[in-house]
Amino acid sequence: MAAGVVWVALKGHPLGVTRHHCSVGGPMGMLRAVCPHGPPWYPRVRYGTPWVPIPSPHRSLRFHPRSAPSHSAGAMVVLRAGLCPGLTEEMIQLLRANNIRTVVDFVSSDLEDVAQSCSLSYKALVAVRRVLLAQFSAFPTNGADLYEELKSSTAILPTGNPSLDQLLDAGLYTGEVTELAGAPGSGKTQVCLSIAASVSLGLRQHVFFLDSTGGFTASRLYQMLQARVEDKEEQLEALQRVQVVRMFDIYEMLRALHEVRDCLSQQVESSAGPLKAVLIDSVSAVLSPLLGGRQSEGLAIMMQLARELKTLAKEFSVAVVVTNQVTRDSSTGALKSALGRSWSFVPSTRVLLQGRAVPWEEGAAPHTACLAKSPRQPTGMQVQLDIGSDAVQEQRPVTPTP
Amino acid sequence: MQRDVGSLPLSPALRARLLAAGFQTAQELLETGPCGLSKEIGISREEALEALQVVRQECAGDAAKTAGGSGSTRKCTALELLEEEQTQGFIITFCSALDNILGGGVQLTKITEICGAPGVGKTQLCMQLAVDVQIPECFGGVAGEAVFIDTEGSFMVDRAADIATACVRHCQLIAEAHQEEDHLQALETFSLESILSHIYYFRCRDYIELLAQVYLLPDFLSEHSKVRLVVIDGIAFPFRHDFEDLSLRTRLLNGLAQQLIIIANDHKSAVVLTNQMTTRFGQNQSMLVPALGESWGHAATVRLIFHWDNTQRLATLYKSPSQKESTIPYNITPQGFRDVQPPPVTQNAEGTEMNPRKRPRREEEK
Repeated sequence: MAAGVVWVALKGHPLGVTRHHCSVGGPMGMLRAVCPHGPPWYPRVRYGTPWVPIPSPHRSLRFHPRSAPSHSAGAMVVLRAGLCPGLTEEMIQLLRANNIRTVVDFVSSDLEDVAQSCSLSYKALVAVRRVLLAQFSAFPTNGADLYEELKSSTAILPTGNPSLDQLLDAGLYTGEVTELAGAPGSGKTQVCLSIAASVSLGLRQHVFFLDSTGGFTASRLYQMLQARVEDKEEQLEALQRVQVVRMFDIYEMLRALHEVRDCLSQQVESSAGPLKAVLIDSVSAVLSPLLGGRQSEGLAIMMQLARELKTLAKEFSVAVVVTNQVTRDSSTGALKSALGRSWSFVPSTRVLLQGRAVPWEEGAAPHTACLAKSPRQPTGMQVQLDIGSDAVQEQRPVTPTP
Repeated sequence: MQRDVGSLPLSPALRARLLAAGFQTAQELLETGPCGLSKEIGISREEALEALQVVRQECAGDAAKTAGGSGSTRKCTALELLEEEQTQGFIITFCSALDNILGGGVQLTKITEICGAPGVGKTQLCMQLAVDVQIPECFGGVAGEAVFIDTEGSFMVDRAADIATACVRHCQLIAEAHQEEDHLQALETFSLESILSHIYYFRCRDYIELLAQVYLLPDFLSEHSKVRLVVIDGIAFPFRHDFEDLSLRTRLLNGLAQQLIIIANDHKSAVVLTNQMTTRFGQNQSMLVPALGESWGHAATVRLIFHWDNTQRLATLYKSPSQKESTIPYNITPQGFRDVQPPPVTQNAEGTEMNPRKRPRREEEK
């Protein structure tokens, strides 16, 4: 069975806890599904039902000092023999007869009652519970360690647009999800292409472009590269570093992201190289057919996507950029990002792009970018963007002149 | 592979049950097997078998891709895409100014949307494109067929016949001027009857018929593989009245947009939609904007807005991934969609005296 890479760094913690690891499918019970507490970016679903985070085996253990564990040990793992040393098969059968099937059930039940009804020894149950709690909870790390780690693993990628860099506090931070929202024609795809050009050409890193709207035009990217550098060899090399995947369905997008993660965790150099940026043009195009109406399953899938993006960004130190639509606020009439309140917690930085309202009537109003949410800069900052300033070359006459 | 259960394309009820029972990854599902699965979550054995089939397909798809590199047809580098784009043809519109601002014509594999007030010429352009897509390759066309989905009933066959006749006449003039072998050969098959017989016409009366038609289109297109243009004349009309639930409308439209982009991509054809205009009230003025709301604006890759300026018709390129925004004038003539004729050059007196034998120069119709 194919296995992911396992990095185990024992940090001298009293319980020998692992810091980073990827799960390996297999009989190694102790190194298996370790799931931290629900991260703080999962809000309660609007209709009042609590959202239980589904633990991912690929999550790293540390969590930031500013996030507080808000749920109980949220492991919905089925109790299985070998999950921890004291748990035997007969024990599991007895527990199951009393309707205790998962770790949550076990840990949250009253052990005295369980000992009586299942006729198991109280001491054994307490020992098992302690091991399970140790296994399935996250352990805090102190701020200094975290800071050192962030300093060494975070990179700042220039976007190719100096005013946008200024807005984003020097550029795109790896390990974070950045969102660009705007009305149609406001320049989101152009900014994404410009980021792809800058990262691929300037930093010589690979870029993954997931296109769900059909807006990716290679000739425009080529134009941008031609405006930045003269050498044709470099331009072609830069084009080769940009991988484009076209998918128009949410499950295909999840599959594509999963593939990227697999490639990175197996460190296959040939296809995905030193990947630093993942650009997703229009998350809303694949999510809006599922949202609204009376079903709430769209929100579940949206959160699944959010978790994939966050894991990708954090674990592999890539900068994830997504584009989103805008809707009108019904009360104030102002523009705001689409996909609702639940999605608004997912990106750490949000930029609102605005183009011209009615271009054929007024004069040329330039494109502007406004910062709507940022962990580092004051919100409300606004800069003027220069989209399309790359020298547009003479159009070669494609129209056949009869 | 370690795919999360939440990311597999199963029905929501089944997914909820699997998660409540504690299954996390696809691997666990496959290990449990259909009997164990049906016992654990209380579904019938057939349903368990079906679910496992889906899971196996997903995981097999993953494995094939990671092993073989770029196994899927939709994943490639930008360089390969550039080469593909440069060899791709355009559908010309016979109005050279419009072709110029579009970068050569209507692009294949993209959705182009035409918005405009009534009577400005959207259906005329659609009919012109349905004829132009059939121009043979030696004359610079893509030699494809067209699908015309009509929701407003504005397709007039006599008008299409007029446009087709003018197009055939135009190609005959070129062939006479150049006198090449393949031109004459192509002209034999390019006639009025063949043009009209290769426009597949569908009439949809309400939004359910329209949705059904679009979702059945891939089957139709796989039988008629030469189709290079899909026109939906009047996508706004069935969605603008009789809709109480606006969020349902948004969802249906978004699903429709994704289906159309899948069709455009898989069958390498251009999709052209026409949209109506609606009024938006600003602070102290009102303006005409395309209908169907903000979210629909994201569906089309290229957006053209047709409007009037006194008596002159103008076309503005409002949204495009590779061209700049610009405005050009155009005309609708008895031959179809054409350029605006520049005013005839008036020779002054000295000119005619200097060279009385030369006729005054006039721009020929292109």
